[in-house]
Amino acid sequence: MTYDTDVLVIGAGPAGAVAAGEAKRAAPELDVVLLERDAAVGTPVRCAEGVGDAGLREFADPDGAPWAARRITRIVFVAPDDTEVKVAERAVGWILDRTRFDAFLAEQAVALGAELRVRTEAAGMTCEADGRWRVRLRGAAGEDTCRTRVVIGADGVEAMVGRWAGLDTRVPARDMESCAQYVLAGIDFDPDSIYLQFSDRIAPGGYAWVFPKGPGVANVGLGLVALKADGRNARQYLDDWIARRYPRGQKTGCTVGGVIVHTTIRQTYTDGVLVAGDAAHMINPLSGGGIVNAMKAGRLAGRIAAAAIRAGDTSASRLSAYHAAWMELLGDDHLKYYRLKRALEGLDDQFFNSLARTANAIRPEQRTLGRIFAHALVKHPQLLPVAARFFI
Amino acid sequence: MLDAPDGGGYRSRMRPAPAPSEIAVVDLQVCDRCGLCLPLCPPEAIHLALADLVVDGRTCTGCRKCIAPCPVGALAMVPA
Repeated sequence: MTYDTDVLVIGAGPAGAVAAGEAKRAAPELDVVLLERDAAVGTPVRCAEGVGDAGLREFADPDGAPWAARRITRIVFVAPDDTEVKVAERAVGWILDRTRFDAFLAEQAVALGAELRVRTEAAGMTCEADGRWRVRLRGAAGEDTCRTRVVIGADGVEAMVGRWAGLDTRVPARDMESCAQYVLAGIDFDPDSIYLQFSDRIAPGGYAWVFPKGPGVANVGLGLVALKADGRNARQYLDDWIARRYPRGQKTGCTVGGVIVHTTIRQTYTDGVLVAGDAAHMINPLSGGGIVNAMKAGRLAGRIAAAAIRAGDTSASRLSAYHAAWMELLGDDHLKYYRLKRALEGLDDQFFNSLARTANAIRPEQRTLGRIFAHALVKHPQLLPVAARFFI
Repeated sequence: MLDAPDGGGYRSRMRPAPAPSEIAVVDLQVCDRCGLCLPLCPPEAIHLALADLVVDGRTCTGCRKCIAPCPVGALAMVPA
């Protein structure tokens, strides 16, 4: 059967759920449909689940929320030789329970009037003569067709909506982090800290992480660039690291996935189409974090789509306002972070071991990221070109 | 396309690359359906169909870019 809508959002992760809710909030008279391929929103979890405090609070209050697994107050950087550098910060962030968090965001969209359809996969789309998109859908009950004025592609790393719309969503191999993660129980760590370890032997081109979900239980994973790896895949690297660091940890859930550490795709819109979140490579290329970015992009996409439909103009030239707004909000910053990432790639394990000793010479209560960076520049002149690349 | 950095975009349209001797295949017993390999494929030969990954043997150029990044080693090359 064929049905019509105004906004079709493909993918009910953070970008899609926020986009659907914001479109409805901006223009309650519009029909907004939110599609999810899986049987339930928020599964499977392909995420380390860490999120910054300030960014999260723009969208939801984590205090006491059932979807907030753990409040984080410290970052511990771990050098290749296992030297720990504790960085004193205040409200650093949260470890989410993504299954519940994504469901919470989708419920908010539904409460605003969006229609959620789970177990429904987009299979392709074509543009019609009147400018609407005809999207082929596959669901539990068979095939459907949806005609829509605007498609918002929030379909994550696979980014099929962008591809169907003719946008270039491809990624060079050096900017793809291959990730693997276990939920590890029965391990010993400070449950108020996140741990990040940098080492070419452990996670070449990326880092390994321990993100607490509760006392003794954490998301333990790593991301690496396969081009720099020694032939082992991400899960093999992770098994080897865990065998060394947490030999008695009990592996429960295992998940794998890709994190695109690139810059925003050159064009995030075309006639009647916007793409948001991982699907548009809107991930911080230094940290690999993308949840808040996806929500911010979804908010822009939902509002701009709604305004365009109201104005009767969903052309690429009108929707280009979305790209401009995103680049001003975060996209231009990502270009700087990307240059910094490329410059840091040239530094080896020996450098990071020595940087850890420099940082630990700063008194703990004064050991902020800014001070570490300032001290590092003085003591390690090889960092100067790295710093310079941040600004040029 | 005429101003592609190495002219490759233009030429490849005029004269298709010779058929590859090997192409990628995915082992669906091992694949976790994470979708990481899709944006890595230059000719966009990898698709998700009914939530399963499929490599289109007609468009795969045998470039191997999808092989090593797979976090679980589900992709391999086979004779075309």
